[in-house]
This record gives sequence, structure tokens and C-alpha cells, in this order.
Amino acid sequence: MSNALNKKRNFIERSILSALAFLKDATLSEEYANRKGFLQSLDPRLKTVSFLAFLVTAISLKSAVLIGSLYGFCFILAIFSRIPVRHFLIRTLLFIPLFSLFMVLPTLFSIVTPGEPVCSFHVLGLNGIITRPGLDGAVLFVVRIATSVSLVVLLSLTTRHSELLKVLRVLGVPQLFVLTVSMCFRYLYLFATMVENIFTAIKSRVGVVSHHRHGQNVVAWNLANTWNRTTQMSEEVYMAMLSRGYTGEPRLLKVFHATLKDWVWLCCAVIICAGLFYRGQIL
Amino acid sequence: MSDIIFELQDVHYSYPGKFPALCGVDMTIRSGEKIAVIGANGTGKSTLLQLLDGLIFPHHGQVRAFGELLRENSQVDENAAHRFRRRVGLVFQNADIQLFCPSVREDIAFGPLQLGVAEEEVRRRILEVAQVLDIRHLLERVPHQLSIGEKRRVAIASVLAIDPDVYLFDEPTAGLDPLTVRHIIDFIVNANQRGKTIITATHDLHIIGEIADMVYVFGQNKRIIMGEPPDSVLNDRSFLEINNLVHIHRHHHDGREHVHQHLP
Ligand SMILES: Nc1ncnc2c1ncn2[C@@H]1O[C@H](COP(=O)(O)OP(=O)(O)O)[C@@H](O)[C@H]1O
Ligand SMILES: [Mg+2]
Repeated sequence: MSNALNKKRNFIERSILSALAFLKDATLSEEYANRKGFLQSLDPRLKTVSFLAFLVTAISLKSAVLIGSLYGFCFILAIFSRIPVRHFLIRTLLFIPLFSLFMVLPTLFSIVTPGEPVCSFHVLGLNGIITRPGLDGAVLFVVRIATSVSLVVLLSLTTRHSELLKVLRVLGVPQLFVLTVSMCFRYLYLFATMVENIFTAIKSRVGVVSHHRHGQNVVAWNLANTWNRTTQMSEEVYMAMLSRGYTGEPRLLKVFHATLKDWVWLCCAVIICAGLFYRGQIL
Repeated sequence: MSDIIFELQDVHYSYPGKFPALCGVDMTIRSGEKIAVIGANGTGKSTLLQLLDGLIFPHHGQVRAFGELLRENSQVDENAAHRFRRRVGLVFQNADIQLFCPSVREDIAFGPLQLGVAEEEVRRRILEVAQVLDIRHLLERVPHQLSIGEKRRVAIASVLAIDPDVYLFDEPTAGLDPLTVRHIIDFIVNANQRGKTIITATHDLHIIGEIADMVYVFGQNKRIIMGEPPDSVLNDRSFLEINNLVHIHRHHHDGREHVHQHLP
């Protein structure tokens, strides 16, 4: 019994730690952004605009086949950007279930999407019927989510996080907001690191966590402490900003130089999207 | 007197919750001076530097900077605030706090841009400053992923880019390897030779001979208990021992070369 409890706790602890590691990796790893590949060589602004266009296309198209072709295109881009397909797949697959499962389930059933039944079943005295339009809708939805997530992952993998933030700024998002987001990233990172350290500290102090209650208290106390430290830190960061002349509206550097290649790429992106929309109209 | 930069009279400061941090500090600092503020942990060194930088204000007594009283509402006027910020720069104790931009380049640019320096000039300064502190290869990096020594140099660069008349350093050499310490001391000495006023808080006794003409010692009572040139402070061993600076004193003994340098 207690053994099982321990196992469970270890499992939870490991899951939390790996989730944290993933978070840090996802938000801060710039390994792929620093590789010399196709997408990495593009101007971040035009790259982001083109990906937004792809995203809008993926969301608006009503044909799973057409969206699927966009998904294939993502893979080609990933290969030319020197991102290992396996890594890329894992990244996208991690997010897809989260998005799709919750949203797709209700539409499967006849209550939401009436139509010709494909199969029916009884569970706990409830009648469930999976309908043809419901199934088609579900497939379309999954392909759409997979493609959208892939696009976002591809963009974030091939662009430095600082550059993405700059792009937000260039696209007209207020500078104060961008600075706040960038600080959130930092706190997130710091927070993740602290929680990791706390886990290690507890382990070294308590050894094998024998007293469930005790371990919990340590965690709770440390989290409160971490929170205090974080809020105090944000006050100090504000001081550091004041010290260098901040008076309410941050002014930051203008960056980026688009070349002919970037414009050609943007044209290609627009043509691809328009083509897909056109096909979508005919089908 | 126009060459007086800071003038403190009976300054008291307490943190919220009534934690006294400074209890009656008097001090006069003139243009071009090299000052060290030493003292054990928690004796109010950081608090003093933040007062001098106009980030916090005394609850009792007064701080004058460039002949004007530093008050909470004197910072409301943007022009006055900018004039002050262009003249005084603080390198924080914790570089993680000082560096908050997404890249090193932007962190260096932050100060001058806020203070209205033209973009072209800012770009020129970034390169110049990066050259001086040998951080050109770090410009595109994320600041909080750097090593302590790199962070410290970037933090100094971010203040150097403002080109202030007065530098305030809060424990600039803490936790650094000897070579980086050397670079930072050279930087400080060099800046002073160019006419800059330098105020350094530290408990690193073996650097004060180089970075200070005048040393103020802060005691556990949170006020100045001695103000002398570095040699006299270093010679008064019993005083240093009583005031919890003894550990550093021993370090000082171990490095034989340094002993010769400071103790006659
Ligand atoms: N944010 C804060 N809140 C409450 N007390 C503080 C804070 N910062 C410093 N203190 C207290 O003020 C005193 C002086 O601190 P500080 O100026 O940081 O000393 P030093 O830099 O010499 O180590 C200490 O007793 C410390 O506990
Ligand atoms: Mg301090």
C-alpha cells in the first residue's frame, strides 16, 4: 500500500520534473533557431506574416485533403530547416491531443451533429451514435489542429525567442506588452529552475520521503517562499529599469532587414494560400 | 561648491516592516573621487547606493545630488529625472535583476534609448562598449543564460553605454574568477582616470587599495564608523576583526603579493 503510494508519488514527481524540463526547453532552447537552415535565414517579420497566412488558410479551409497538403508542406520546410523530423513530430504530437480531444468529442455524437449513423453503441444505458458528418468533421478538425500546431511549432523552433518578441513589436503590439511578455518568459524560466532546485533540496534533506505530510509542508513552504522572492524581484527589476531612465514607455531598438529573398518567399506563401483557397472553392 | 556631487545629512532609511537599514549617515562626495563603502552583510551598503541613485528616499535627513535635494516628486518631472539618470549609473549587486531585456544587445541599448540618445549613436555605443568589456560575441545571447562573470560584464556595459559621470558599483567583484576581477578593477581605475566619480560597495578588502582613495566602513549599527584612506583602514586589524571583516582580512594574508601591496 505505502509502496504503491511511493511509486505513485515518484511518478508524479518525475512527470512534474519532465514537464518543467520541457517547458524550459520549449521556451528557451535555441538550438534549432541557431542552425543554418532555410527558415532560419528568413527575415523574422516576413516569416511570421507568411506563417500567419498559412495559419489562417489552415483554419478556414473546409477540405481535409487540402489542409493535409499544407501539413506535408510543413514537413518539407522542417527538413530544409535542418530540424529532425522525429523531434518535430514529438513536439507537435505533444500538443495536439490536448487541443483536439476536448473539442472533438462532443461533435462526434449525434446530439451535436445529426446525420446518417456509422455505428451505435450502448454505454451505461445511454445511446451513442457516431454519425458520418460527425466523423468527417472530427477528421477535418484533427488535421486542422495538427497543421496549425505544426506551423506554430515550426515558427517557434526556427526563430529566436527574442526575435519573435521583436516581431510582435513590429506588428504593432504595444512595447509595454512585449516587454511584459518577455519578462514573463524569464520568470517562468526562473520559477521552473527554482521548483527544480526545491525538489532536489527536499530530496537531499528528507532523503527518501517517508513522511508524506512533512514532504508536502516543505513543498508548500518553498512555493510560498518562491512566490515572495518572485514578487520582490519584480520590484527590484522595476528599480533597475528606473535607474536606466525608464519613465513609463519603454523605447527599444528597431531591427531587421528584409532582402529580396524574403519578399520572394512571402509572394510564394501568398500564392500557395490563394491556390489552396481557390481549390477549396471548387471542391 | 560646484564640485560636490553627493551630500548626505543624517540619513535614515527603514524598509517596510520597520527593518532599519541606515541610521544616521553623513557623507560628502566630490567630483572625481574614488570611494569604497565596506561593511559586513546587511550593514546597509546596497541601501546607500540605491539612495544615491534616487531609487529610494530617506525617511529622515536629506540627500543632495549636484546641489539639488533628491525627493520622491523630483523624479516626476521627466526632464529632471533624465538629467539625473544621464549623470549617475548604478551597477546592481544582482546582475539577474539588472538584465531584463530579451538579448544582451537590447539590454545595452535600453539605457541610452530611454534617455533619448539617437538610434545611430546607440548602435555605435553598443559596439564600442562591447569592445571595451570584451562581450562582442555575446550580443545576441539571452542575458540570463550567461555565466556570472559574463552577466557582470554585460551589466557594466549597460551602464557604460549611458556614459554617466558617476558610477555606483554594488559588490562588482563578488563571486568572480581572478581574471574577471582584474578586468573590472582595471575598468574602474580607468574610468576614474577619465574623470569619473566612482563609489563601490564591497567586502573584498584586497581590492580597496586600488579602487578607493577613501574608505567608509559601515558597522552593525548601520552608520559610518570609520572614514579613512585605504591604508589606514587595512592597518587597523583589531578594528577589522571586531567589525566582522576579519575573514576577508585572512584572505588578504594568504595572497602574499597583496599583503606587500597594502601593508607597509
Ligand atoms: N527589500 C528589503 N526588505 C526588508 N528589509 C531589507 C530589504 N533589503 C534589505 N533589507 C534590510 O536592510 C538592511 C541593509 O541591507 P543591505 O543594504 O542590502 O545591506 P548590504 O548591501 O550591506 O548587505 C539589512 O538588515 C536587510 O535585512
Ligand atoms: Mg548588498
